[in-house]
Amino acid sequence: MAGEKEIALQLENVRKTFVVSNKTFLSIKDRLFNLHRKNEKKTIQALKNVNLEVYKGECIGIVGRNGSGKSTLTRIMSGAYQPDKGGKVKRNGTHLLMNLGVGFSHELTARENVYVNGSTLGLTVKEIDTIFHDIIKFAELEEFVDTKIKYFSSGMVQRLSFSIAMYAQADILFLDEVFAVGDNKFKEKAIEMLEKSWLKGCTTIMVSHSNALIEKYCSKVLVLNKGKQVHYGDVKEGLKIYDSLE
Amino acid sequence: MEEVTTKHIDKTKSNRWERIWLLAKIEFKLRYYENSLGLLWALIKPIAHMLIYYVAFKIILSIDIPNYALYLFCGLIVWNFFIEASSGLMNILRTKKYLYEYSNMSKFEIYLASMLSISIGFAFNLIIFIVAVILSDLPLSGNLIYFALIFLILFTFSMGLAMILSSISIIATDIKQIWPLIIMGLFWLSPILFTYENVQEKLPFMNYSNPMAGIILNSREVLMYAHPPDWKLMLVNIGHALIFLLLGLYMVKKIGSKASEIL
Repeated sequence: MAGEKEIALQLENVRKTFVVSNKTFLSIKDRLFNLHRKNEKKTIQALKNVNLEVYKGECIGIVGRNGSGKSTLTRIMSGAYQPDKGGKVKRNGTHLLMNLGVGFSHELTARENVYVNGSTLGLTVKEIDTIFHDIIKFAELEEFVDTKIKYFSSGMVQRLSFSIAMYAQADILFLDEVFAVGDNKFKEKAIEMLEKSWLKGCTTIMVSHSNALIEKYCSKVLVLNKGKQVHYGDVKEGLKIYDSLE
Repeated sequence: MEEVTTKHIDKTKSNRWERIWLLAKIEFKLRYYENSLGLLWALIKPIAHMLIYYVAFKIILSIDIPNYALYLFCGLIVWNFFIEASSGLMNILRTKKYLYEYSNMSKFEIYLASMLSISIGFAFNLIIFIVAVILSDLPLSGNLIYFALIFLILFTFSMGLAMILSSISIIATDIKQIWPLIIMGLFWLSPILFTYENVQEKLPFMNYSNPMAGIILNSREVLMYAHPPDWKLMLVNIGHALIFLLLGLYMVKKIGSKASEIL
């Protein structure tokens, strides 16, 4: 059955190694004065060989303890980070990573950010014109349209970000702990909106520490432990493995 | 619970140019409309520089160049464009991180948008300059049209350089200290304050090693003196511009692709 579906996102042999030096000798002077000392380099393997396929319209949950590579993985999925050599990421369609205040310039007003964001998602200005009012209304920011978002509270930024993602209809939605902020009323509204977009076949990748949320909405779950892919598939089984992780 | 509906949107059309223009406009607005004098600042800066150099070179050193104020102004607006692009975009990969980090927007578009926003300010200065030329009873001719080509060279060269500098600044922050020195050198080795002949006589290789020399000389030829441009110099400058652009594209591709991890 899965074979008939269109693949929205495919990861093959994705690894990510970060090289961290204890002291970063960024300037020439630093390097000159420290010739005898080598840059002490530590490599951190954030991800070790992740393979998965996400089909169009699926909602995938990603769970794992802190530092297990969840955020790195979503960043690789969205294209912000390049995987190590040999890894492949195939994406189908536009995408948007939704994280608190990501993709916004704090120097710009809400209005400008909506247009810039919509535009990077592939909408024309005319199209943004038609949904602009809806976006602002859903985010409950009518009074702050021309306020720079650096004056916004984190909840307000979150609401705007969510609202843009919903109305601009990104094909793949990355939700990185989005429900951690925002009051209950907005949460309800957001979940209702998400359910609607899932019906329309929007693919969602959800990172969350809330087992309840994942159990309710995700059709598959990916469990990461220290960068390793421990499980990908059935939600209940995955959550059991997650809970038993040390 | 309020009714929530989404309108269907067709995403097959490319909106690349519209997006670049949108970003350019927003940046221009941020640059000039955040302070009370607004767009006037684009003009005040070259005029203030012009006055300083006028006092130093015309009044104190009695340099012998006719229409010296205009001569300075022409050189300075072209020079300012170059500075705003090269120094101004040095941090672009940091300040515009929000644009490329989580979306599929290419970095080239980000550079282009910023360059366009600088060009809007330049266009404003250029209009003022041409009005001043007319008011001073200097001749205008069809050779003015060549300025489009000269500007294209200036634009390409500056953008290539901006790409190179901003890429370097990611891996070696020293460039922020070194670049102002290079700029100072180029400024005094360009025919901004004195004539091109002065430079050429003593340092004939300057034609080929300082792209700004030829660009400024040719700008004056077509804008101020109603002459056709010096084609040989122009050809050399086209070479400069292309080399810098290609090098810039290469560096952004090589280093810039890792920018979101490093920064």
